[in-house]
Amino acid sequence: MNSLLLNTDIAIFLLGEFILWVVLLIAFGVNLYLLKKWDFHSYTNLQYRIEKLAYLIMVIIIFSFLMKFILLPYFVFTMDKISDIVPGAMCSAGVISFNAYGMKLFFIKMAILLLLMIWLMINHYDIEAKVYPWFRAKSWLFVFIFILITIELYWDYAFFADIDIHKVLNCCSTLYGLLEGVNPLPFGLDKREIIILFYMIYAMIISSTFGKQNYILLIGLILFIPIGYYSVLYFFGTYIYEMPNHNCPFCMLQKDYYYIGYPLWGSFFGGVFLGITAILAEERLKKDSKRLKYLMVLSFTIFVTICTFFVLHYYYKNGVFLEPVKVEMVM
Amino acid sequence: MNSPFFRFLLLSFYSEKAKQITVIIFSIIIIFILSSVLFLSTSMHYSITEALKYQPDFIVQKMAGDRRVNISERVTDELIEIPSIAKVTPRVYGRYFLKPLGKSFLVVGVDFFDVQSHRGLEKIIDNMDLNKFFKRRDNMLVGEGVDRFMREHHYDNNMTFFTPKGKAITLHKFATLPKNSELVSSDMVIVPIDLAKKILGIKRREVSDFAFNVPNILEWEIVTIKVSALDYDLRVINKKESYKAYAEFFDFKGGFFLSIFLIVLISFSLILYQRYSQLYSTERRNIGVLRALGWSIKDTLKLKFFEALLVVFISYTIGVSLAYIFVYIFHAPILKNIFLGSSNIMVEPTFVPVIDIFLLSSIFLLYAIPFIASVIIPVWRISTTNPKEAMR
Repeated sequence: MNSLLLNTDIAIFLLGEFILWVVLLIAFGVNLYLLKKWDFHSYTNLQYRIEKLAYLIMVIIIFSFLMKFILLPYFVFTMDKISDIVPGAMCSAGVISFNAYGMKLFFIKMAILLLLMIWLMINHYDIEAKVYPWFRAKSWLFVFIFILITIELYWDYAFFADIDIHKVLNCCSTLYGLLEGVNPLPFGLDKREIIILFYMIYAMIISSTFGKQNYILLIGLILFIPIGYYSVLYFFGTYIYEMPNHNCPFCMLQKDYYYIGYPLWGSFFGGVFLGITAILAEERLKKDSKRLKYLMVLSFTIFVTICTFFVLHYYYKNGVFLEPVKVEMVM
Repeated sequence: MNSPFFRFLLLSFYSEKAKQITVIIFSIIIIFILSSVLFLSTSMHYSITEALKYQPDFIVQKMAGDRRVNISERVTDELIEIPSIAKVTPRVYGRYFLKPLGKSFLVVGVDFFDVQSHRGLEKIIDNMDLNKFFKRRDNMLVGEGVDRFMREHHYDNNMTFFTPKGKAITLHKFATLPKNSELVSSDMVIVPIDLAKKILGIKRREVSDFAFNVPNILEWEIVTIKVSALDYDLRVINKKESYKAYAEFFDFKGGFFLSIFLIVLISFSLILYQRYSQLYSTERRNIGVLRALGWSIKDTLKLKFFEALLVVFISYTIGVSLAYIFVYIFHAPILKNIFLGSSNIMVEPTFVPVIDIFLLSSIFLLYAIPFIASVIIPVWRISTTNPKEAMR
């Protein structure tokens, strides 16, 4: 057995994920039963019992959503911590790219959180409507989520069990660095363009929210995912580190940078998730979801404020902006 | 978040406190044990990391079979010639056993006029009045634990050591080492290098091993290779390896504890499940009344869940605070022996409070997830009681 599995944080993480899975398994069984027997128009005793069982699923999903919400940053933190032990890595970037599971695991975790959020949204309107119009839709969604969670649990284990603490890992500067002068930005953009785009898309999201243009909002969100990510990685990140050539999405999660990465990425992904959920609610369920949208705007505003703050703070202190230095490969 | 709801929640919680108290007390005990152990291991891990910062970066030893043997002094010159290496220090050290008491000192010989690769020692020697120290030829510096030992056994300021040849050497205590990193230096006795060789029976031209620093971390790998190539029987250890060994050791102890704790956690969950099933069966009437008054299933679920959460938070806060007091104020009597071993009583560490949000969230996750997972079904069952059935 890999000795890393005995590490306290990893053991707690895996145990927590496992217990959640067991509870969700119960909900999954109940859910299948409901899908088979559900008939809202019947007046049998069974149907009454079944409607009560639906609440059990709801409670379990709320509970697991909250816990997964805590477990995601905990997962990132755990990787940060083992990067101390593993040679070569200095932050979780090296650990997460150690084997094929790392990035996949991260994305599946994100997807699960998003889907759980959508489930909770559908459930909210479903119960409110009194006649359960979306009951089957949400039940099938849960079946899908449960399959994802099962895969996630296996990958969780496989990821940590596969890490060899004696093998040398990559450091974030080799994974994200600007060696050899290749432009890493998407669509052939340069830095100035991407920053202009960043603020323009932010303005687009805000204005389409208040102008109630859902499809424009959706386009804005889809564009904001890569643009936001790359501008933090290659522009705003350098101001957080105050180093022109340090490009890493993970180092900012560490204590040296006052854990600023957690609110930064949290508000970014939170905004995207809230936006997608709100659009779905309005377009598919024909429900008004003003509150979700306001939360989304708030979340993106926090994100943009944090990013802008570091640039202005740097300029205020030093009177210049950062200019990246071209590095030749030394090794 | 309507405040009448929370008022009602608190009132009903308070009026039924007798029912909750058993669960709370039981939870507090569980959290207390869990967080004491985690606090202890985190704090010790921290002190060892701090102490390691003062250790020399590299150690070179000569091996014969599976044990370390003394190495010739001439290796110094070969080491100095490697460009990246700084501050080569020959070290003389060994355990000195006090047979009747079953205890041992770590005798360390130091060349006071040479450079020191041990950064802690460097600091101590820099602050010392060497003129005064060398006025007598038999002065020694002692660690905190040795100092305590000498006072307890009425040695006052002098202590007699016996060399392997049977000769007695009486040494005079010059000063006590500062207490900052007790885990490493508590049982240490520092003497001039020639005296140490006599006490430990090491030949004149030999030393125990060498320590040196390599200021540029990027060169560590290549230096390891270069030094190993000097001779076939050399062992090169760098600081990062010892750090990893310590981390693995604490992981092992922590993991071992966790796997035992798992059994406790499972029985705790079963008890909780039982308890909540019973607890709430007497409460069906109340729920029935609430439902008859117009509460929906959603509302009763919310009420019962906030009750459970309240139990979680109360017991979590009290449990963690008690553990904090136990570990950092009373220095964890009894429990610390799990980590330290109780054979050499001289090591008497003081624990530096190290608490971060992630340690706290570890404790929270390990407790809250099993707790809520085991009460979720009983709570749901009671909250969905039919009003008619309940009040019959």
